[in-house]
Amino acid sequence: MSRVIVIGAGLSGLVAANRLAGKGVDVTLLTKGIGGLQLGQGSIDVLGYAPDRVTNPVLTLSAIASARPAHPYAAIGAEAVHTGIEYLKALLGDLLVGDAEANYQLPTAVGAIRPTCLVQPSMVAGNVTDGARFAIVGLRRLKDFHPKLVAENLSRTPLPDGGRLDARPVMVDVPARDGEVDSSGLTYARAFDDPAFRDRFAAALKPQLNEGETVGLPAVLGLKDRGAWKDLSEKLGHPVFEIPLPPPSVPGMRLNEALTALAKAAGVRVVNGTRAVSARVEDGVVKGVTMATAGAPREFTGEAFVLATGGFESGALAMDSYGSVTETLFGLPLQGLDDGPLVHGDYWSAEQPLFSVGVRVGKDMRVLDAAGAAVHPNLFAAGGIIGGSSRWAEKSGDGIALGSAVRAADSIVEELA
Amino acid sequence: MSDETKPGLEFAGHEFARASLDACVKCTICETQCPVAAVTPLFSGPKFVGPQAERYRNGDSVDHSLDYCSSCGTCTLVCPQGVQIAELNSQARAVMKADHMPLRDRLIGQTTLMGTMMTPVAPIARAALHNKPIRTIMEKVVGVHRDAPMPPPQGQTFASWWAKRPKPATAATRGTLVFFHGCAGGYFEVETSKKSVEVLEHLGYEVIVPKQGCCGLAQQSNGLFEQASASVLKLCDDLRAAGKDLTIISSSGSCTGMLKHEAHEIMGVDDERLKDVGTRIRDIMEFLLDLHEAGELPTDFATIEMTVPYHAPCQLKSQGMGMPAVEVLGLIPGLTVVESGAVCCGIAGTYGLKKEKYEIAQAVGKPLFEMVKKTNPNLALCDTETCRWQIEQSSGVKTEHPIWMVHRAYGLS
Repeated sequence: MSRVIVIGAGLSGLVAANRLAGKGVDVTLLTKGIGGLQLGQGSIDVLGYAPDRVTNPVLTLSAIASARPAHPYAAIGAEAVHTGIEYLKALLGDLLVGDAEANYQLPTAVGAIRPTCLVQPSMVAGNVTDGARFAIVGLRRLKDFHPKLVAENLSRTPLPDGGRLDARPVMVDVPARDGEVDSSGLTYARAFDDPAFRDRFAAALKPQLNEGETVGLPAVLGLKDRGAWKDLSEKLGHPVFEIPLPPPSVPGMRLNEALTALAKAAGVRVVNGTRAVSARVEDGVVKGVTMATAGAPREFTGEAFVLATGGFESGALAMDSYGSVTETLFGLPLQGLDDGPLVHGDYWSAEQPLFSVGVRVGKDMRVLDAAGAAVHPNLFAAGGIIGGSSRWAEKSGDGIALGSAVRAADSIVEELA
Repeated sequence: MSDETKPGLEFAGHEFARASLDACVKCTICETQCPVAAVTPLFSGPKFVGPQAERYRNGDSVDHSLDYCSSCGTCTLVCPQGVQIAELNSQARAVMKADHMPLRDRLIGQTTLMGTMMTPVAPIARAALHNKPIRTIMEKVVGVHRDAPMPPPQGQTFASWWAKRPKPATAATRGTLVFFHGCAGGYFEVETSKKSVEVLEHLGYEVIVPKQGCCGLAQQSNGLFEQASASVLKLCDDLRAAGKDLTIISSSGSCTGMLKHEAHEIMGVDDERLKDVGTRIRDIMEFLLDLHEAGELPTDFATIEMTVPYHAPCQLKSQGMGMPAVEVLGLIPGLTVVESGAVCCGIAGTYGLKKEKYEIAQAVGKPLFEMVKKTNPNLALCDTETCRWQIEQSSGVKTEHPIWMVHRAYGLS
């Protein structure tokens, strides 16, 4: 029994649970498995495209908030995003750097350039600048990273500020462990945790580098050892930066593991293993959420509930074969269903309206109905379940998750006081 | 190979688990958490041998590395999409081993037999299990690693203690419970079983202990589904004979998991008797936590000034109820419980006993052994028997069931 039940362990669930526990609230975090945070790049996107490339995310989101009242940022507001960014940076210590007022422009694993707000220190040297010289280094036994593709695309792409950079591919072959010809990024990351491996790797790579080059590597430079990238940089005598890979994403794991460990250390009770399958509501008030625990279902009661269950990808939203969309735990009213067809057939044209479907929230993150009234007085939402935007196209998902999570947590703390 | 040569393997559970395949989005979360793939390239990881390889299986397996899966169940636990990865792998392994089941794997599933044989000759058995030459022969002939942890033979079984002990002093005011001790709790971890019933009786319950057999878990994890299914249903009959609708309490975390969900989800046992027992059984720490949440657990605990490491076993975690022991022990004044945060101790039932897997199991458990030694060199807590033996053997730290601490805090020891 806890005062607050948070459902979902992605970025928004973990941040809400940490913030509540940090303010002395007894919290239970319910989750089916590990949340999606570790599948991301390990950076925090606040706003990347609107629709043009964004350089100052908080400034631009304020403009969106006033122009588009249905957008999540309209309810969340720039201040909560600011608070969320500062909170997360403080919570994670040296794991995230950056500024709400400026996006980094970082190389991707296909050699494109992506805008993002907070990054891990191991990525900073990749921020593209006119005249930069990059050596993009691949590992022969790591199939998810192709230095030639990255280097050639980077070299031919005009930079966001109009300049150019020069990148060339380098390939090295240092096995992560004996007898393995096809190692995952995670296996390499575990190897890079070992200083002796870093010595061997630096010895193999150093002769291939030229004076003045910055070294771009797949993001596998240590899982547990946060200083591994720095140590490698010193051994090479060159600045290095990490380029995130498709999952398993090592930088994503670093964020997820840090936030989960912090939540547990702050006293959050984490119940993992089964899905939350039903909710009990009495006189409009949410009383409990039931998990499909082995043997017999188990109800978790509380005074306030944070719905941080995500969207379609996690099963929080579902569409049946008739095209009707539901929120699967509470059956909440959804926005974004009445503006014509949810899916259009033109894959390459405008955004699919389906991906803007979600719940509507007020400024305190209470879930609202179409008339703007709270559906349940003690039900709050955070992250991907909130409708009104196409996160993937805007690169706004992390900022929405952060802002809504701190706002929901703070509203609850105020309420319970 | 046709199914006709593999009796007992055409189970409904396979269809059920297979249906979950389509929910796999290849996110790799299971790969990142697999404790075996982390320490050896011999196992290619749960996603590769599970949801991916399963698409290519038509009876036979395309990938024999799945024998290196320890069946810890971590993959299913961490999967956000509900894919039954561990279940699929256990089923595929059973099919793969069906026509060449090693003698050793048949033997080490016979937990009741081991207990029956060792108890009358406990001192001899104890000596033999610590005798290097004997263990070396055992390794060569049977394939059980010479350094692997072995169950500690006891001079008295739980059943014989139960039959001979004086009636409890506390009057039963709270109703009746059925106690399920499991093979290990009957023959080897006799103290844990005694302390469990003593705590329940102290709380005011009348405890019934029916004659009971094995849940078949060790056979199941070795792929002997037919024998395991028969064992688990026989056990259900035993437990049901004690009384209808009574709550069943167990201090054997892994056997509880077998009854609650594994027999059904892995072997497809679909039987009213299993459903009845599986929904009535509670882990003892889970039961105490439920009492506490209902405001019915006396918390007049004595102060125990101690910091103790606690490791939640895989088969307890997979029941999806969180970590009841951490919460219950948190009620004892002075006691600081440090959760290990480790994925697995490595033993996974009988996996870490096998000579070809011993080193892997040790590597899996290494972070846990180090955490335990660092946190308290004298005592660790863990809910399941083989995990306790593994932690104790490999870290040198005495390892008890959490109920020992509750027993102590109530002044019963």
